[in-house]
Amino acid sequence: MDEPELLLDSNIRLWVVLPIVFITFLVGVIRHYVSILLQSDKKLTLEQVSDSQVLIRSRILRENGKYIPKQSFLMRKFYFNNQEDGFLKNTKRKVVPPSPMTDPSMLTDMMKGNVTNVLPMILIGGWINWTFSGFVTTKVPFPLTLRFKPMLQQGIELLSLDASWVSSASWYFLNVFGLRSMYSLILGQDNGADQSRIMQEQMSGAAMAMPADTNKAFKAEWEALELTDHQWALEGVEEELMSRELDLDGMFSQ
Amino acid sequence: GFDNWNVLIIVFTEMRDKLRKWREDNHRNSEQIVDVGEELINEHASKLGDDIWIIYEQVMIAALDCSRDDLAWTCLQELKRQFPGSQRVKRLAGMRLEALEKYEDASKQYDSILQDDPTNTAARKRKISILKAQGKSAEAIRELNEYLEQFVGDQEAWHELSELYINEHDYGKAAFCLEELMMTNPHNHLYCEQYAEVKYTQGGLENLELSRKYFAQALKLNNRNMRALFGLYMSASHIAACPKVNATVKKANVRYAAWATNQINRAYQVSHAMCCVLLKQ
Repeated sequence: MDEPELLLDSNIRLWVVLPIVFITFLVGVIRHYVSILLQSDKKLTLEQVSDSQVLIRSRILRENGKYIPKQSFLMRKFYFNNQEDGFLKNTKRKVVPPSPMTDPSMLTDMMKGNVTNVLPMILIGGWINWTFSGFVTTKVPFPLTLRFKPMLQQGIELLSLDASWVSSASWYFLNVFGLRSMYSLILGQDNGADQSRIMQEQMSGAAMAMPADTNKAFKAEWEALELTDHQWALEGVEEELMSRELDLDGMFSQ
Repeated sequence: GFDNWNVLIIVFTEMRDKLRKWREDNHRNSEQIVDVGEELINEHASKLGDDIWIIYEQVMIAALDCSRDDLAWTCLQELKRQFPGSQRVKRLAGMRLEALEKYEDASKQYDSILQDDPTNTAARKRKISILKAQGKSAEAIRELNEYLEQFVGDQEAWHELSELYINEHDYGKAAFCLEELMMTNPHNHLYCEQYAEVKYTQGGLENLELSRKYFAQALKLNNRNMRALFGLYMSASHIAACPKVNATVKKANVRYAAWATNQINRAYQVSHAMCCVLLKQ
Protein backbone atom coordinates (compact mmCIF):
# COMPACT_ATOMS: atom_id res chain seq x y z
CA MET A 1 0.00 0.00 0.00
CA ASP A 2 2.54 2.56 1.11
CA GLU A 3 4.73 3.55 -1.74
CA PRO A 4 8.34 3.40 -0.57
CA GLU A 5 9.74 6.93 -0.63
CA LEU A 6 12.75 7.33 -2.81
CA LEU A 7 15.87 8.18 -0.94
CA LEU A 8 18.14 10.40 -2.99
CA ASP A 9 21.85 10.46 -2.60
CA SER A 10 22.72 13.55 -0.54
CA ASN A 11 25.44 14.29 -3.04
CA ILE A 12 22.67 15.28 -5.39
CA ARG A 13 21.68 18.01 -2.99
CA LEU A 14 25.23 19.26 -2.69
CA TRP A 15 26.36 19.01 -6.28
CA VAL A 16 23.18 19.48 -8.27
CA VAL A 17 20.45 21.37 -6.46
CA LEU A 18 22.63 24.08 -4.98
CA PRO A 19 24.82 24.66 -8.07
CA ILE A 20 21.74 25.05 -10.23
CA VAL A 21 20.35 27.69 -7.87
CA PHE A 22 23.69 29.45 -7.93
CA ILE A 23 24.00 29.32 -11.69
CA THR A 24 20.49 30.61 -12.25
CA PHE A 25 20.99 33.44 -9.83
CA LEU A 26 24.35 34.51 -11.24
CA VAL A 27 23.10 34.34 -14.80
CA GLY A 28 20.19 36.55 -13.77
CA VAL A 29 22.49 39.12 -12.24
CA ILE A 30 24.74 39.08 -15.30
CA ARG A 31 21.68 39.53 -17.52
CA HIS A 32 20.67 42.54 -15.48
CA TYR A 33 24.00 44.28 -15.95
CA VAL A 34 24.23 43.34 -19.60
CA SER A 35 20.80 44.80 -20.23
CA ILE A 36 21.94 48.02 -18.59
CA LEU A 37 24.98 48.16 -20.87
CA LEU A 38 22.97 47.47 -23.97
CA GLN A 39 20.22 49.92 -23.10
CA SER A 40 19.67 52.33 -25.92
CA ASP A 41 18.45 55.82 -25.14
CA LYS A 42 14.91 56.20 -26.33
CA LYS A 43 14.83 59.73 -27.61
CA LEU A 44 11.38 61.15 -27.97
CA THR A 45 10.86 63.92 -30.44
CA LEU A 46 9.64 67.30 -29.28
CA GLU A 47 6.36 66.68 -31.04
CA GLN A 48 5.75 63.40 -29.23
CA VAL A 49 6.42 64.96 -25.84
CA SER A 50 4.23 67.91 -26.68
CA ASP A 51 1.38 65.74 -27.96
CA SER A 52 1.39 63.49 -24.94
CA GLN A 53 1.10 66.54 -22.68
CA VAL A 54 -1.77 67.91 -24.76
CA LEU A 55 -3.61 64.63 -24.34
CA ILE A 56 -3.05 64.75 -20.61
CA ARG A 57 -4.38 68.31 -20.47
CA SER A 58 -7.48 67.32 -22.37
CA ARG A 59 -8.06 64.44 -19.98
CA ILE A 60 -7.60 66.70 -16.97
CA LEU A 61 -10.08 69.14 -18.48
CA ARG A 62 -12.62 66.34 -18.69
CA GLU A 63 -11.98 65.06 -15.19
CA ASN A 64 -11.39 68.29 -13.26
CA GLY A 65 -13.08 70.87 -15.41
CA LYS A 66 -15.73 71.05 -12.74
CA TYR A 67 -13.36 73.01 -10.50
CA ILE A 68 -13.12 76.00 -12.82
CA PRO A 69 -15.93 78.36 -13.76
CA LYS A 70 -18.26 77.31 -16.53
CA GLN A 71 -17.09 79.98 -18.95
CA SER A 72 -13.49 78.91 -18.62
CA PHE A 73 -14.39 75.29 -19.17
CA LEU A 74 -16.39 76.10 -22.29
CA MET A 75 -13.58 78.25 -23.63
CA ARG A 76 -11.12 75.40 -23.33
CA LYS A 77 -13.55 72.84 -24.72
CA PHE A 78 -14.07 75.14 -27.69
CA TYR A 79 -10.31 75.40 -28.17
CA PHE A 80 -9.98 71.64 -28.34
CA ASN A 81 -13.12 70.59 -30.15
CA ASN A 82 -14.15 73.46 -32.36
CA GLN A 83 -15.32 72.36 -35.81
CA GLU A 84 -13.11 74.66 -37.81
CA ASP A 85 -9.88 74.92 -35.92
CA GLY A 86 -10.14 72.86 -32.78
CA PHE A 87 -6.80 71.39 -31.85
CA LEU A 88 -7.96 67.81 -31.43
CA LYS A 89 -10.12 67.93 -34.49
CA ASN A 90 -7.68 69.40 -36.92
CA THR A 91 -4.21 68.33 -35.96
CA LYS A 92 -2.99 65.45 -38.01
CA ARG A 93 0.35 63.88 -37.24
CA LYS A 94 2.40 61.89 -39.71
CA VAL A 95 1.86 58.35 -38.66
CA VAL A 96 4.70 55.89 -39.11
CA PRO A 97 3.69 52.43 -37.94
CA PRO A 98 6.65 51.06 -36.00
CA SER A 99 6.84 47.63 -37.59
CA PRO A 100 10.19 45.87 -37.27
CA MET A 101 10.81 46.05 -40.98
CA THR A 102 10.57 49.78 -41.47
CA ASP A 103 11.89 50.98 -38.14
CA PRO A 104 15.51 49.92 -37.60
CA SER A 105 15.66 50.96 -33.96
CA MET A 106 12.69 48.71 -33.11
CA LEU A 107 14.44 45.86 -34.83
CA THR A 108 17.62 46.23 -32.81
CA ASP A 109 15.59 46.59 -29.63
CA MET A 110 13.79 43.35 -30.34
CA MET A 111 17.04 41.60 -31.11
CA LYS A 112 18.63 42.84 -27.94
CA GLY A 113 15.60 41.71 -25.97
CA ASN A 114 15.83 38.26 -27.44
CA VAL A 115 19.56 37.93 -26.99
CA THR A 116 19.57 38.95 -23.36
CA ASN A 117 16.58 36.92 -22.29
CA VAL A 118 15.53 34.01 -24.39
CA LEU A 119 18.89 32.90 -25.67
CA PRO A 120 20.66 32.44 -22.33
CA MET A 121 17.65 30.62 -20.95
CA ILE A 122 17.68 28.12 -23.80
CA LEU A 123 21.44 27.68 -23.77
CA ILE A 124 21.76 27.18 -20.06
CA GLY A 125 18.66 25.02 -19.89
CA GLY A 126 20.13 22.80 -22.54
CA TRP A 127 23.54 22.67 -20.88
CA ILE A 128 22.04 21.77 -17.52
CA ASN A 129 19.95 19.11 -19.14
CA TRP A 130 23.03 17.61 -20.76
CA THR A 131 25.29 17.88 -17.71
CA PHE A 132 22.92 16.85 -14.99
CA SER A 133 21.05 14.14 -16.82
CA GLY A 134 20.13 10.63 -15.97
CA PHE A 135 18.98 11.13 -12.39
CA VAL A 136 16.17 12.54 -10.39
CA THR A 137 16.89 15.87 -8.71
CA THR A 138 13.97 16.73 -6.51
CA LYS A 139 10.33 16.15 -5.81
CA VAL A 140 7.65 18.76 -6.25
CA PRO A 141 5.36 18.90 -3.20
CA PHE A 142 2.14 18.41 -5.16
CA PRO A 143 1.02 15.39 -7.18
CA LEU A 144 1.25 15.59 -10.95
CA THR A 145 -0.41 13.53 -13.65
CA LEU A 146 1.42 11.21 -15.96
CA ARG A 147 1.11 13.73 -18.77
CA PHE A 148 3.90 15.75 -17.20
CA LYS A 149 6.37 12.87 -17.18
CA PRO A 150 8.00 13.34 -20.58
CA MET A 151 8.30 17.06 -19.95
CA LEU A 152 9.64 17.05 -16.44
CA GLN A 153 11.59 13.83 -16.42
CA GLN A 154 13.75 14.32 -19.45
CA GLY A 155 16.38 11.63 -19.62
CA ILE A 156 14.91 9.35 -17.01
CA GLU A 157 13.32 6.34 -18.65
CA LEU A 158 11.32 4.91 -15.76
CA LEU A 159 7.70 4.22 -16.47
CA SER A 160 6.74 3.58 -12.90
CA LEU A 161 8.28 6.65 -11.39
CA ASP A 162 5.86 9.10 -9.81
CA ALA A 163 5.54 12.24 -11.94
CA SER A 164 6.32 14.41 -8.95
CA TRP A 165 9.98 13.44 -9.18
CA VAL A 166 11.58 15.85 -11.61
CA SER A 167 14.86 16.22 -13.37
CA SER A 168 17.41 18.99 -13.10
CA ALA A 169 16.11 20.86 -16.15
CA SER A 170 12.76 21.36 -14.45
CA TRP A 171 14.52 22.45 -11.26
CA TYR A 172 16.34 25.03 -13.38
CA PHE A 173 13.12 26.43 -14.80
CA LEU A 174 11.56 26.46 -11.36
CA ASN A 175 14.48 28.57 -10.24
CA VAL A 176 14.23 31.01 -13.12
CA PHE A 177 10.75 31.98 -12.03
CA GLY A 178 11.22 31.49 -8.34
CA LEU A 179 14.23 33.76 -7.98
CA ARG A 180 12.29 36.75 -9.26
CA SER A 181 11.61 38.06 -5.76
CA MET A 182 15.25 37.55 -4.84
CA TYR A 183 16.22 39.77 -7.75
CA SER A 184 13.88 42.53 -6.58
CA LEU A 185 15.44 42.29 -3.15
CA ILE A 186 19.00 42.56 -4.38
CA LEU A 187 18.84 44.50 -7.61
CA GLY A 188 15.96 46.82 -6.80
CA GLN A 189 12.58 46.93 -8.46
CA ASP A 190 13.06 47.55 -12.17
CA ASN A 191 15.76 45.03 -12.83
CA GLY A 192 16.70 43.47 -16.13
CA ALA A 193 16.86 39.99 -14.71
CA ASP A 194 13.13 39.72 -14.27
CA GLN A 195 12.25 37.11 -16.90
CA SER A 196 8.55 36.82 -16.32
CA ARG A 197 8.01 40.55 -16.22
CA ILE A 198 9.71 40.88 -19.58
CA MET A 199 7.60 38.13 -21.04
CA GLN A 200 4.48 39.78 -19.65
CA GLU A 201 5.48 43.01 -21.31
CA GLN A 202 6.03 41.29 -24.62
CA MET A 203 2.59 39.74 -24.37
CA SER A 204 0.74 42.93 -23.49
CA GLY A 205 2.35 44.21 -26.66
CA ALA A 206 3.87 47.49 -27.51
CA ALA A 207 0.46 49.04 -26.86
CA MET A 208 1.81 51.17 -24.04
CA ALA A 209 3.70 54.05 -25.60
CA MET A 210 2.55 53.91 -29.19
CA PRO A 211 3.45 57.23 -30.76
CA ALA A 212 1.93 56.13 -34.05
CA ASP A 213 -1.51 56.16 -32.47
CA THR A 214 -1.47 59.89 -31.84
CA ASN A 215 -4.17 60.55 -34.41
CA LYS A 216 -6.36 57.87 -32.91
CA ALA A 217 -5.67 59.20 -29.43
CA PHE A 218 -6.67 62.70 -30.53
CA LYS A 219 -9.90 61.37 -32.01
CA ALA A 220 -10.70 59.42 -28.85
CA GLU A 221 -10.09 62.50 -26.70
CA TRP A 222 -12.22 64.62 -28.98
CA GLU A 223 -15.13 62.25 -28.62
CA ALA A 224 -14.75 61.99 -24.88
CA LEU A 225 -14.54 65.76 -24.51
CA GLU A 226 -17.62 66.29 -26.68
CA LEU A 227 -19.57 64.21 -24.25
CA THR A 228 -18.31 66.04 -21.18
CA ASP A 229 -20.55 68.55 -19.50
CA HIS A 230 -19.67 71.10 -16.88
CA GLN A 231 -21.00 70.32 -13.41
CA TRP A 232 -19.60 73.07 -11.30
CA ALA A 233 -18.25 71.68 -8.08
CA LEU A 234 -18.53 75.04 -6.35
CA GLU A 235 -22.27 75.44 -6.79
CA GLY A 236 -23.13 75.14 -3.10
CA VAL A 237 -19.71 75.68 -1.60
CA GLU A 238 -20.74 78.42 0.83
CA GLU A 239 -23.54 76.33 2.31
CA GLU A 240 -21.24 73.33 2.62
CA LEU A 241 -18.58 75.45 4.26
CA MET A 242 -20.93 77.11 6.72
CA SER A 243 -22.65 73.91 7.75
CA ARG A 244 -20.12 73.62 10.54
CA GLU A 245 -17.66 75.75 12.46
CA LEU A 246 -14.13 76.06 11.14
CA ASP A 247 -11.65 73.61 12.56
CA LEU A 248 -9.03 75.93 14.01
CA ASP A 249 -7.08 73.29 15.91
CA GLY A 250 -3.36 73.61 15.78
CA MET A 251 -3.48 76.89 13.93
CA PHE A 252 -1.26 78.85 16.27
CA SER A 253 1.00 76.06 17.45
CA GLN A 254 4.76 76.59 17.36
CA GLY B 1 22.30 82.07 16.35
CA PHE B 2 20.23 79.32 17.88
CA ASP B 3 20.08 77.33 14.65
CA ASN B 4 23.85 77.26 14.20
CA TRP B 5 24.36 75.95 17.71
CA ASN B 6 21.72 73.30 17.09
CA VAL B 7 23.44 72.14 13.92
CA LEU B 8 26.76 71.57 15.65
CA ILE B 9 25.45 68.96 18.04
CA ILE B 10 23.44 66.97 15.46
CA VAL B 11 24.87 63.69 14.29
CA PHE B 12 25.93 63.01 10.70
CA THR B 13 22.92 60.85 9.78
CA GLU B 14 20.50 63.46 10.98
CA MET B 15 22.21 66.05 8.83
CA ARG B 16 22.02 63.86 5.79
CA ASP B 17 18.36 63.04 6.43
CA LYS B 18 17.53 66.70 6.87
CA LEU B 19 19.08 67.49 3.52
CA ARG B 20 17.12 64.68 1.93
CA LYS B 21 13.86 65.92 3.42
CA TRP B 22 14.50 69.47 2.22
CA ARG B 23 15.35 68.10 -1.21
CA GLU B 24 12.19 66.04 -1.44
CA ASP B 25 9.94 68.81 -0.14
CA ASN B 26 11.64 71.33 -2.43
CA HIS B 27 12.34 73.72 0.44
CA ARG B 28 14.26 76.82 -0.42
CA ASN B 29 15.81 77.41 3.00
CA SER B 30 19.17 78.13 1.38
CA GLU B 31 21.03 79.40 4.44
CA GLN B 32 20.23 76.27 6.42
CA ILE B 33 21.13 74.06 3.48
CA VAL B 34 24.47 75.84 3.11
CA ASP B 35 25.20 75.46 6.84
CA VAL B 36 24.33 71.78 7.02
CA GLY B 37 25.60 70.90 3.56
CA GLU B 38 28.96 72.63 3.87
CA GLU B 39 29.75 70.84 7.09
CA LEU B 40 28.59 67.54 5.65
CA ILE B 41 30.79 67.94 2.59
CA ASN B 42 33.86 69.11 4.45
CA GLU B 43 33.77 66.74 7.40
CA HIS B 44 31.89 63.67 6.28
CA ALA B 45 32.41 63.36 2.53
CA SER B 46 33.67 59.78 2.69
CA LYS B 47 30.64 58.51 4.59
CA LEU B 48 28.15 59.83 2.09
CA GLY B 49 28.86 57.42 -0.74
CA ASP B 50 26.93 58.08 -3.90
CA ASP B 51 24.60 60.48 -2.12
CA ILE B 52 27.35 63.06 -2.26
CA TRP B 53 26.67 64.03 -5.87
CA ILE B 54 23.07 65.02 -5.37
CA ILE B 55 24.08 66.80 -2.19
CA TYR B 56 26.68 68.75 -4.16
CA GLU B 57 23.93 69.84 -6.52
CA GLN B 58 21.59 70.82 -3.70
CA VAL B 59 24.28 72.71 -1.80
CA MET B 60 25.48 74.44 -4.93
CA ILE B 61 22.09 75.89 -5.71
CA ALA B 62 21.69 77.00 -2.08
CA ALA B 63 25.16 78.54 -2.18
CA LEU B 64 24.19 80.56 -5.26
CA ASP B 65 21.18 81.83 -3.33
CA CYS B 66 23.44 82.97 -0.49
CA SER B 67 26.09 84.51 -2.78
CA ARG B 68 28.63 81.91 -1.65
CA ASP B 69 30.44 81.62 -4.95
CA ASP B 70 33.42 79.88 -3.34
CA LEU B 71 31.27 77.02 -2.15
CA ALA B 72 29.32 76.91 -5.41
CA TRP B 73 32.56 76.74 -7.40
CA THR B 74 33.86 73.85 -5.30
CA CYS B 75 30.67 71.87 -5.77
CA LEU B 76 30.64 72.59 -9.48
CA GLN B 77 34.22 71.40 -9.92
CA GLU B 78 33.50 68.14 -8.12
CA LEU B 79 30.44 67.53 -10.26
CA LYS B 80 32.27 68.42 -13.48
CA ARG B 81 35.00 65.98 -12.59
CA GLN B 82 32.58 63.15 -11.90
CA PHE B 83 30.14 63.77 -14.73
CA PRO B 84 32.00 65.34 -17.64
CA GLY B 85 29.76 66.41 -20.48
CA SER B 86 26.60 66.06 -18.44
CA GLN B 87 23.76 68.40 -19.38
CA ARG B 88 22.56 68.57 -15.82
CA VAL B 89 25.99 69.84 -14.74
CA LYS B 90 26.05 72.28 -17.64
CA ARG B 91 22.80 73.70 -16.40
CA LEU B 92 24.32 74.20 -12.95
CA ALA B 93 27.27 75.98 -14.53
CA GLY B 94 24.80 78.22 -16.32
CA MET B 95 23.01 78.96 -13.05
CA ARG B 96 26.27 80.02 -11.49
CA LEU B 97 26.87 82.44 -14.36
CA GLU B 98 23.39 83.79 -13.80
CA ALA B 99 24.12 84.33 -10.11
CA LEU B 100 27.22 86.30 -11.14
CA GLU B 101 24.96 88.28 -13.50
CA LYS B 102 26.94 87.14 -16.55
CA TYR B 103 23.73 86.71 -18.49
CA GLU B 104 25.26 86.54 -21.97
CA ASP B 105 27.57 83.69 -20.98
CA ALA B 106 24.78 81.89 -19.16
CA SER B 107 22.55 82.19 -22.20
CA LYS B 108 25.27 80.72 -24.42
CA GLN B 109 25.63 77.83 -22.00
CA TYR B 110 21.94 77.03 -22.19
CA ASP B 111 21.95 77.37 -25.96
CA SER B 112 24.63 74.72 -26.17
CA ILE B 113 22.51 72.36 -24.09
CA LEU B 114 19.55 72.97 -26.36
CA GLN B 115 21.63 72.24 -29.43
CA ASP B 116 22.33 68.76 -28.13
CA ASP B 117 18.85 68.16 -26.83
CA PRO B 118 16.03 70.40 -28.06
CA THR B 119 13.59 68.81 -25.62
CA ASN B 120 15.58 69.91 -22.57
CA THR B 121 13.03 71.88 -20.58
CA ALA B 122 15.39 72.99 -17.79
CA ALA B 123 17.61 74.99 -20.15
CA ARG B 124 14.64 76.73 -21.76
CA LYS B 125 13.24 77.70 -18.39
CA ARG B 126 16.59 79.09 -17.26
CA LYS B 127 16.71 81.28 -20.35
CA ILE B 128 13.31 82.66 -19.44
CA SER B 129 14.53 83.31 -15.89
CA ILE B 130 17.40 85.33 -17.35
CA LEU B 131 14.91 87.55 -19.17
CA LYS B 132 12.98 87.97 -15.96
CA ALA B 133 16.13 88.86 -14.03
CA GLN B 134 17.02 91.45 -16.63
CA GLY B 135 13.61 93.01 -16.17
CA LYS B 136 12.48 92.16 -19.70
CA SER B 137 9.02 91.09 -18.58
CA ALA B 138 7.29 91.35 -21.94
CA GLU B 139 9.90 89.14 -23.58
CA ALA B 140 9.85 86.72 -20.67
CA ILE B 141 6.07 86.44 -20.98
CA ARG B 142 6.30 85.85 -24.70
CA GLU B 143 8.99 83.17 -24.37
CA LEU B 144 7.12 81.50 -21.55
CA ASN B 145 3.95 81.41 -23.63
CA GLU B 146 5.85 79.75 -26.47
CA TYR B 147 7.34 77.29 -24.02
CA LEU B 148 3.93 76.44 -22.62
CA GLU B 149 2.54 75.87 -26.10
CA GLN B 150 4.89 72.94 -26.37
CA PHE B 151 4.96 71.81 -22.77
CA VAL B 152 1.39 72.34 -21.76
CA GLY B 153 1.74 70.18 -18.66
CA ASP B 154 4.52 72.10 -16.91
CA GLN B 155 2.87 73.36 -13.74
CA GLU B 156 5.87 75.28 -12.51
CA ALA B 157 5.77 77.25 -15.77
CA TRP B 158 2.05 78.02 -15.46
CA HIS B 159 2.61 79.35 -11.95
CA GLU B 160 5.53 81.49 -13.06
CA LEU B 161 3.44 82.88 -15.93
CA SER B 162 0.59 83.73 -13.56
CA GLU B 163 3.02 85.70 -11.40
CA LEU B 164 4.42 87.53 -14.42
CA TYR B 165 0.92 88.48 -15.57
CA ILE B 166 -0.05 89.68 -12.09
CA ASN B 167 3.01 91.93 -12.08
CA GLU B 168 1.90 93.33 -15.40
CA HIS B 169 -1.63 93.76 -14.02
CA ASP B 170 -3.01 91.50 -16.75
CA TYR B 171 -5.43 89.77 -14.38
CA GLY B 172 -7.52 88.03 -17.00
CA LYS B 173 -4.57 86.07 -18.29
CA ALA B 174 -3.29 85.42 -14.78
CA ALA B 175 -6.68 83.91 -13.99
CA PHE B 176 -6.35 81.60 -17.00
CA CYS B 177 -3.02 80.30 -15.73
CA LEU B 178 -4.40 79.76 -12.24
CA GLU B 179 -7.32 77.84 -13.71
CA GLU B 180 -4.85 75.43 -15.29
CA LEU B 181 -3.25 74.96 -11.89
CA MET B 182 -6.57 74.46 -10.16
CA MET B 183 -7.49 71.72 -12.58
CA THR B 184 -4.24 69.84 -12.15
CA ASN B 185 -4.22 70.35 -8.37
CA PRO B 186 -7.86 70.45 -7.30
CA HIS B 187 -7.05 70.00 -3.63
CA ASN B 188 -4.49 72.78 -3.36
CA HIS B 189 -6.11 75.54 -1.33
CA LEU B 190 -3.43 78.09 -2.24
CA TYR B 191 -4.28 78.08 -5.94
CA CYS B 192 -7.98 78.60 -5.12
CA GLU B 193 -7.06 81.48 -2.83
CA GLN B 194 -4.79 83.13 -5.41
CA TYR B 195 -7.47 82.75 -8.06
CA ALA B 196 -10.02 84.32 -5.75
CA GLU B 197 -7.66 87.24 -5.09
CA VAL B 198 -7.17 87.82 -8.81
CA LYS B 199 -10.92 87.75 -9.40
CA TYR B 200 -11.44 90.18 -6.50
CA THR B 201 -8.87 92.54 -7.99
CA GLN B 202 -10.54 92.41 -11.37
CA GLY B 203 -13.71 93.65 -9.73
CA GLY B 204 -17.25 93.76 -11.04
CA LEU B 205 -20.19 91.85 -9.65
CA GLU B 206 -19.61 88.61 -11.54
CA ASN B 207 -15.95 88.48 -10.58
CA LEU B 208 -16.76 89.26 -6.96
CA GLU B 209 -19.20 86.36 -6.86
CA LEU B 210 -16.55 84.05 -8.30
CA SER B 211 -14.03 85.41 -5.85
CA ARG B 212 -16.31 84.70 -2.92
CA LYS B 213 -16.91 81.17 -4.16
CA TYR B 214 -13.23 80.43 -4.53
CA PHE B 215 -12.35 81.93 -1.16
CA ALA B 216 -14.98 79.60 0.27
CA GLN B 217 -13.47 76.67 -1.61
CA ALA B 218 -9.98 77.49 -0.35
CA LEU B 219 -11.35 77.66 3.17
CA LYS B 220 -13.16 74.37 2.68
CA LEU B 221 -9.92 72.73 1.56
CA ASN B 222 -8.03 74.25 4.46
CA ASN B 223 -10.03 75.54 7.41
CA ARG B 224 -7.03 77.44 8.72
CA ASN B 225 -6.39 79.64 5.68
CA MET B 226 -6.93 83.02 7.32
CA ARG B 227 -6.36 84.95 4.14
CA ALA B 228 -9.19 83.07 2.51
CA LEU B 229 -11.39 83.75 5.52
CA PHE B 230 -10.75 87.49 5.32
CA GLY B 231 -11.21 87.31 1.56
CA LEU B 232 -14.56 85.62 2.04
CA TYR B 233 -15.62 88.36 4.43
CA MET B 234 -14.49 91.14 2.13
CA SER B 235 -16.00 89.77 -1.06
CA ALA B 236 -19.31 89.00 0.64
CA SER B 237 -19.56 92.45 2.23
CA HIS B 238 -18.52 94.11 -0.99
CA ILE B 239 -21.32 92.36 -2.87
CA ALA B 240 -23.82 93.16 -0.14
CA ALA B 241 -22.84 96.82 -0.31
CA CYS B 242 -23.27 96.91 -4.09
CA PRO B 243 -26.35 99.00 -5.08
CA LYS B 244 -27.20 96.80 -8.07
CA VAL B 245 -27.89 93.54 -6.24
CA ASN B 246 -31.38 92.33 -5.53
CA ALA B 247 -32.67 91.70 -2.01
CA THR B 248 -32.15 87.95 -1.87
CA VAL B 249 -28.55 88.14 -3.01
CA LYS B 250 -27.90 90.95 -0.57
CA LYS B 251 -29.43 88.96 2.28
CA ALA B 252 -27.37 85.87 1.43
CA ASN B 253 -24.12 87.82 1.28
CA VAL B 254 -24.85 89.60 4.55
CA ARG B 255 -25.26 86.17 6.10
CA TYR B 256 -21.97 84.97 4.61
CA ALA B 257 -20.16 88.05 5.90
CA ALA B 258 -21.65 87.56 9.35
CA TRP B 259 -20.54 83.95 9.46
CA ALA B 260 -17.05 84.95 8.36
CA THR B 261 -16.93 87.60 11.11
CA ASN B 262 -17.86 84.95 13.64
CA GLN B 263 -15.09 82.68 12.53
CA ILE B 264 -12.57 85.53 12.57
CA ASN B 265 -13.56 86.30 16.15
CA ARG B 266 -13.11 82.65 17.07
CA ALA B 267 -9.67 82.68 15.50
CA TYR B 268 -8.71 85.74 17.54
CA GLN B 269 -9.96 84.03 20.68
CA VAL B 270 -7.89 80.95 19.95
CA SER B 271 -4.80 83.06 19.38
CA HIS B 272 -5.52 85.08 22.52
CA ALA B 273 -5.80 81.88 24.53
CA MET B 274 -2.54 80.65 23.06
CA CYS B 275 -0.80 83.91 24.01
CA CYS B 276 -2.06 83.56 27.59
CA VAL B 277 -0.75 80.01 27.76
CA LEU B 278 2.65 81.10 26.47
CA LEU B 279 2.87 84.04 28.84
CA LYS B 280 2.04 81.84 31.81
CA GLN B 281 4.85 79.40 30.97
